[in-house]
Amino acid sequence: MDDQQLLRYSRHIMLPELDLDGQEALLNAKVLIVGVGGLGSPVAMYLAASGVGSLWLADHDEVDLSNLQRQIAHTTDRVGQPKVESAAQALQALNPETRIIPVPEKLEGERLQELVENVDLVVDATDNFGVRYAINAACVRAKTPLVSGAAIRLEGQVTVFDAREETSPCYRCLYDVQEDEQLNCATSGVLAPLVGVIGSMQALEAIKVLAGVGTTLAGRLLLFDATRSEWRELKLPRDPDCPVCGNAR
Amino acid sequence: MPTIKMTSHLYRFFPHLKNRTLSTPPGSVAEVLSAINDQAPGFTDYILDEQGALRRHVKVCINDTIVIDRKGLSDLVQDGDTVFIFQALSGG
Repeated sequence: MDDQQLLRYSRHIMLPELDLDGQEALLNAKVLIVGVGGLGSPVAMYLAASGVGSLWLADHDEVDLSNLQRQIAHTTDRVGQPKVESAAQALQALNPETRIIPVPEKLEGERLQELVENVDLVVDATDNFGVRYAINAACVRAKTPLVSGAAIRLEGQVTVFDAREETSPCYRCLYDVQEDEQLNCATSGVLAPLVGVIGSMQALEAIKVLAGVGTTLAGRLLLFDATRSEWRELKLPRDPDCPVCGNAR
Repeated sequence: MPTIKMTSHLYRFFPHLKNRTLSTPPGSVAEVLSAINDQAPGFTDYILDEQGALRRHVKVCINDTIVIDRKGLSDLVQDGDTVFIFQALSGG
């Protein structure tokens, strides 16, 4: 690290849990963020500000006026732009040292697998179950840690699936949901700061995984109820019959 | 008596359960859900499918442990336990 970097990241480096080694790990880290909306915005902004070396931003959507109430990486003058381009501008302004790779496409199949295998960690900030299952399966195959978050109305959930660990569950161990059971923010609504709370938790867990700090949420699921400002922690065991990570595959 | 809690979203469909302490006699998860249905008719229609299994987007926990037997709902809920019911979220 040069003097500018030592100054920029000094509040990280002075933390004994992180120190120089932890910050170096962040600077060398490669992260894929899928979805640059309500959750993906704070995740990307905190990871860029924290000095994560390379961020792949995947989203095939464009910025809409109705996004701006909560998707804080985007601005009024960027309505109509691809979200990945809009977010890239915000992140480069925040930290020009972070390498941003916009991926303005719907990730699936071999392309998804290729990207997942190329990074150290994936953040799922998407808004539908089908994509969540595909990301999960790719992460299990590649043994890439996955930080998963969801938020809608006044409720959020966050956890870590770490396929490097033999006993770690995967997303499919937790949920087996049909597309027609899906709710989204466009039809159900979402309170703006809720995505900030859950997205910030995702960024926190991502940094912990990348820098090897503390105990991650692997094997635990956090539920947040914004109406009561109440967190609930649940044990999340691996399902031995899971078709993705269990004996049934 | 076990205490029953649920995600705020479910209270939208059963508003008379909100802001009150809900409890049932101890028993299997199936018996507890049936007892909730006695207090909130239609509750099991919302969280169970036609075969009586938990709908795929619904999860039931006893204390901090997610119930694995989603079909038979055979896990025992004892005095002092807290049952928590929530559902999958996909919004991002």
